Amino acid sequence: MKKTFPLFLLFIFGILGIIPFIVPHPIVQDTNNFLLNVFLKILAAFALILGLGSLLRVHMDKIKRKRQNWQYSWVLIITFIITSIIGLFGGVTGEGILPTRIGSFSFDIWTLYFNIEVPLGATMFALLAFFMASAAYRAFRARSSEATLLLVSAFIIMIGVLPLGERISHHLPSFTQWIMDVPNVAAQRGILFGVALGMLATALKIILGIERSWLGGGGGE
Amino acid sequence: MKIIDILAKIDRRIIYLILLVVVILPLIFPSAQSVRVMPPVEKFFNAVDNIPEEKALIIDFDYTPQDMPELEPMAIALLRHAFKKRIKVLALSLYVQPLGLAQRALTQVTEEFNSTAETSADSIIYGRDYVFLGWQVGPILAMLSMGESITNFYNIDYYGNRTDTLLLMKHIKNYNNVGIVAALSPSDIPRYWVAYAQNRFGVAVGAGVTSVSASEFYPYLQTGQFSGLMIGMKGAAEYEEMVEKELSVAGRRKASESLPSITYAHLLIIAFIIIGNIGHFVKRRQK
Amino acid sequence: MNISLDPWIWISALLTVSIFSFLYRDNPFYRFAEHIFVGVANGWAVTFYWHNILVPSLFDPLFRRGQLLLIIPFIIGILYLTRFIPRVSWLVRIPIGITMGYYVGASIPADVQAYIIKQTQGTILTSQNFQAWNAGNMGVVWSIILFVGVICTLSYFYFSKEHKGVLGITSRIGIIFVMIGFGAAFGYTVMARISLLIGRLQFLLGDWLGVIH
Repeated sequence: MKKTFPLFLLFIFGILGIIPFIVPHPIVQDTNNFLLNVFLKILAAFALILGLGSLLRVHMDKIKRKRQNWQYSWVLIITFIITSIIGLFGGVTGEGILPTRIGSFSFDIWTLYFNIEVPLGATMFALLAFFMASAAYRAFRARSSEATLLLVSAFIIMIGVLPLGERISHHLPSFTQWIMDVPNVAAQRGILFGVALGMLATALKIILGIERSWLGGGGGE
Repeated sequence: MKIIDILAKIDRRIIYLILLVVVILPLIFPSAQSVRVMPPVEKFFNAVDNIPEEKALIIDFDYTPQDMPELEPMAIALLRHAFKKRIKVLALSLYVQPLGLAQRALTQVTEEFNSTAETSADSIIYGRDYVFLGWQVGPILAMLSMGESITNFYNIDYYGNRTDTLLLMKHIKNYNNVGIVAALSPSDIPRYWVAYAQNRFGVAVGAGVTSVSASEFYPYLQTGQFSGLMIGMKGAAEYEEMVEKELSVAGRRKASESLPSITYAHLLIIAFIIIGNIGHFVKRRQK
Repeated sequence: MNISLDPWIWISALLTVSIFSFLYRDNPFYRFAEHIFVGVANGWAVTFYWHNILVPSLFDPLFRRGQLLLIIPFIIGILYLTRFIPRVSWLVRIPIGITMGYYVGASIPADVQAYIIKQTQGTILTSQNFQAWNAGNMGVVWSIILFVGVICTLSYFYFSKEHKGVLGITSRIGIIFVMIGFGAAFGYTVMARISLLIGRLQFLLGDWLGVIH
């Protein structure tokens, strides 16, 4: 029951996912519309519980066991609670029951988003520019003919796509475009075929109940 | 040989500092660089430009703060194009994090146009010229459902209005009324638009992607599955160039402004790779 | 120079600098900012899941307009909570099974069509493909190079047979295409990373310090 029933459901809904692509009958399409617009949409919304629950559990556990840097888990939990309260009760268009402005100082969900989340998210990824520069100096060695080819291709792209390429030679941007259009497409498509066939095989294995790792622990038959 | 020794052991923090200086200086002392528009962006521009009057442009804002510098200028340029040519726009986000950035881009470009408008006909009016469908959970559910009915899946818009009450949505039912979907995304979403929306319902798809994933998306351009492709800051700058030159729409061109910094940074990275290699091979020969 | 007086711009700038401080070394400012990010991002998500989905698509129609059919997805959705109750944790497999089943099912015809059939059509040597680049007669040559490149790349990734003889030659050609492709990807990656840094510097130098306009 604990494994067979979920596997049965997965199979049935797998078939329900395939059929609308093949059968245009109104009954099929109406059922599919109900699944998409109501049923699966609501389930997808509840899936947030899984992610959020796991995140909070990890951090509560860290605090309870006083693991290294546990104090920061409080920072995460408190900012999460404050942001949620402001968002849930302050509303998304400022119409909520919680006031989100004191004088000219506003602290609604948008202000938190644009002044905390946006700069933090953007800066974390901006760090990668520095790490990449360091890696360029330390790691990219032309040790073999293949590695040399990779670097030459990268150099051509780096110069050819920019206005500098145009200044060096009028043909350089066109050549760069050709690299992207022809040899690059050949390589990417070869890889794409491999990935697509792999995805297809995995999808079939999941629907047919051969691949069961998604069931996780918890036992049962 | 001393120079080689120094070059072989540059501290990472010095590398960081050099990079910072090289990127900052062109921002403080900007220089104009003309941009040559390449075929993938030109195709994209033409595909949007040729949307028939009765059809809409869907702009899928899927960029997050993490990839905003590359994709936001594309969104701004696309909106300027659409509003200038009076192409109806449906804006949406398939994930929750991009929602705020989508709202910001829409507000900015609407204000740009309305600040110079003199009559209602000149203005960009919500519900008549564009609708912000906001976000509903489940990207693939959205793509599949909109083939049948857009308002059934996006039952309320971003502002909480029922979408079936909006004037524009009376004419735009599903993909049959959509000219092209412009997917601005740092992830696999443009491919999903092709797999789920285009395959089943035949809608055209154009992609604006980050440069990290650029090479993966080219196969779809060659097959015609993408009607156009914009790649990173350069792609955005090309679209900005077309919007300004072809449509005479002036406005801040954030992507074009960044090109000098990118140019110098690219040259620096190439120099780092060459210096690193020289140091490595000289050392190896010495041993 | 025209430094901002907006307190929120200052908060953004200090958080930005806190993250950049990681470049020197790991430190409490960085960790503090990093944890704030995760907290706020999840709070933002909760807000919109509630206001955009759960209230208008579930609670309002179910409890105010009496659409009782919605009780089914509501109960199945609630089962996600059982993941954290050990005795009944297996019940979480029901919503996961349903959702995964539909997605996986829908992906099969979509993937076959978009990634296998269309991409194969784009590879074979047809007069239509010769026109793909608007390159005149050269389109034929490019199509042949593309065709050979795809076959050779596939042969490079074929590991069920030793790369000797014909397979040895094709896989050697394949690696050339793969390296050009990876080089192109790397070249573009540099542009991506630098672009993100420019975005932050435009904020620090423009919005905060007012050095650039």
